[in-house]
Amino acid sequence: MSAKVAPPDNDVLWARGLDCAHQGSPALTGVSIAVRDSEVLVVAGARGSGKTTLLRCLSGRLRPDAGEVWFNSVPLHVLAPRARDRLRRDRFGWVGSTPELVPELAAWENAALPLLLSGVSGRTARRTALEWLERLDVGDCASRRPAALLQSERQRVAIARSLVHRPTVLFADEPTAPLHRHERTAVLRTLTTAARSHGITVILTAQEPLGLPRPAGTAAPADRRPPEIPVADRVLTLVDGRLTAGGSLSAGPRDTTPCSLSA
Amino acid sequence: MLALRLIRGTRPTAQLRRLLVALAAGGVGFLLLGALGYALDHPGDPGPALVRLLWCLIPLAAVVQLAVAVARRDPGAEQRTGLDAAGLGPTGLARLAAVSTAVSMLLGSALALLVFLHLRGDVAGLPFDGSAGDGLAARRGLPVPATLTLLLLPPTAAVVATARALRPRPPAARPEAERRGIPVTLPWAAALVATGLTVEGYAARDLPGGAGPAEGMATGVLAGWLLIAAGLVLAGPAATELAGRLLTAWRPGAVRLLAGRVLLADAGRLGGPVGVLTAVAWSALTAALLYGAELLGPFTVLGAAVVVGCAVGTVWVTAGRGREERATTSDGLRDLGASVGLLRRAAALRVAVPALLLLPVVLAVAQLATLPLTG
Repeated sequence: MSAKVAPPDNDVLWARGLDCAHQGSPALTGVSIAVRDSEVLVVAGARGSGKTTLLRCLSGRLRPDAGEVWFNSVPLHVLAPRARDRLRRDRFGWVGSTPELVPELAAWENAALPLLLSGVSGRTARRTALEWLERLDVGDCASRRPAALLQSERQRVAIARSLVHRPTVLFADEPTAPLHRHERTAVLRTLTTAARSHGITVILTAQEPLGLPRPAGTAAPADRRPPEIPVADRVLTLVDGRLTAGGSLSAGPRDTTPCSLSA
Repeated sequence: MLALRLIRGTRPTAQLRRLLVALAAGGVGFLLLGALGYALDHPGDPGPALVRLLWCLIPLAAVVQLAVAVARRDPGAEQRTGLDAAGLGPTGLARLAAVSTAVSMLLGSALALLVFLHLRGDVAGLPFDGSAGDGLAARRGLPVPATLTLLLLPPTAAVVATARALRPRPPAARPEAERRGIPVTLPWAAALVATGLTVEGYAARDLPGGAGPAEGMATGVLAGWLLIAAGLVLAGPAATELAGRLLTAWRPGAVRLLAGRVLLADAGRLGGPVGVLTAVAWSALTAALLYGAELLGPFTVLGAAVVVGCAVGTVWVTAGRGREERATTSDGLRDLGASVGLLRRAAALRVAVPALLLLPVVLAVAQLATLPLTG
């Protein structure tokens, strides 16, 4: 396949040979990835393995030093900044590892922000945002400011914000990092369920907790997949900026039922 | 030593802020020395010399305000985390800020002394064919203790104010709820301006029409002006808050929402400097309308430049601090696909709307304040 060819039809997002460095420190080296339509793809890796950089490159927030990123048939790596911002605003959703809410806005206004940014009327934006907050169990916090919310509530608001405009692709960069363990599974389940019921493709990063040396005498873990992803179609692993598990640890999403992992 | 190393290594914008403080401190130092020179030239008549010294208090207050704003801004958030990780706690940071303030202010004082001595001809003979030494007691010896006291006054005031402003405090427990209704300071501002205008009008009854600055500045008139200026300072927070309310009223879109809410949140911090800038703008306008070129002189121009420069600089530095604190939020907004243009439009609205609210007020109050003295 030549470098100029657009991705196959069933890949919604497609990147090849991504190289990215932060002021000289290499973050990604030769990463190629294809994301299928409506799948939940997990990118696992230790801290500093380049998960966030990969997500930022794929979402067009960061321009890679080398390589290509295609969204459907749009080349993100050469798109003009204005067009890229518009595309990201309308088609992509983003949840970070911290809620990153605007502190001056109430929860519902934060959740409605993507709609307001794309010029939807205030009334419609409010209604949609309230629906999503309700769906994520934070409907009663709608009129409070982020400072008055618990961290888990803030993160739920951030998730509502990333889904409110029905994006095509949702980028979730360790969305459960600020949460306690019992909340993680619930939040992830809500997120993936919402994404599946609306046909949203999800790219999720997760810490790879099993990369640490085990204490002597303990049994090897049966499963190398991150234990907190309830519903994932595929899991890829990033190590030092390279994708190691080149394909899927489970089979492709079309062949099997989604694998469920317990927390 | 650490403070000096940090000063040497910081970015050009931070250096520019310090340079501004140093220049302003130099201006104030020179004004103080000028008052001393006048007193030396008129040993038998302490009254006018004292008045000159008292007028120096206004630029002094302005420069102290600027120095505190700059000290609050430095070190930047990035540097702060680094220093914190290195073991420099809040007390250490406050001490660091005090030292760098002292360095800038002392630099300014030294500059003032140098220029003063040069103009007096103590360094290399009288410059400008000897005409520069007028009013600077050029042919008299300079009393060293008085000179040092005056030169150390601005640095001391700035360091004390900085140390007081930056002393570690326990963090606020919960953020207060959003206030509604008219801004708290608005009635006070209106009352003070109205009282000031009345006092001025009452005091100006006995003055002859078209009085110049010398006879026109009666105590009553000055008191009225001070009241008006205080009212305008209070109008700053009120106008900022009102601007925020106006921006977020009537179904705001993303730009107005972001601009307005940030103004509302910043009203407490930014309102003070904005109020001072308003008062300064009003004083300059009123003085220009009343006396025009009559007031122009080396000392008045320098004093006005210091006050205006400090007022503008304080607003600039304080707004910059808010911008730095919102960097994470702005980054998060960029993650949502908000364009740089949108963030810029919001920032422009934050400047334009309070300015549009305050401009007519300044013009109107200046017109009203000149009426009793010109009529």
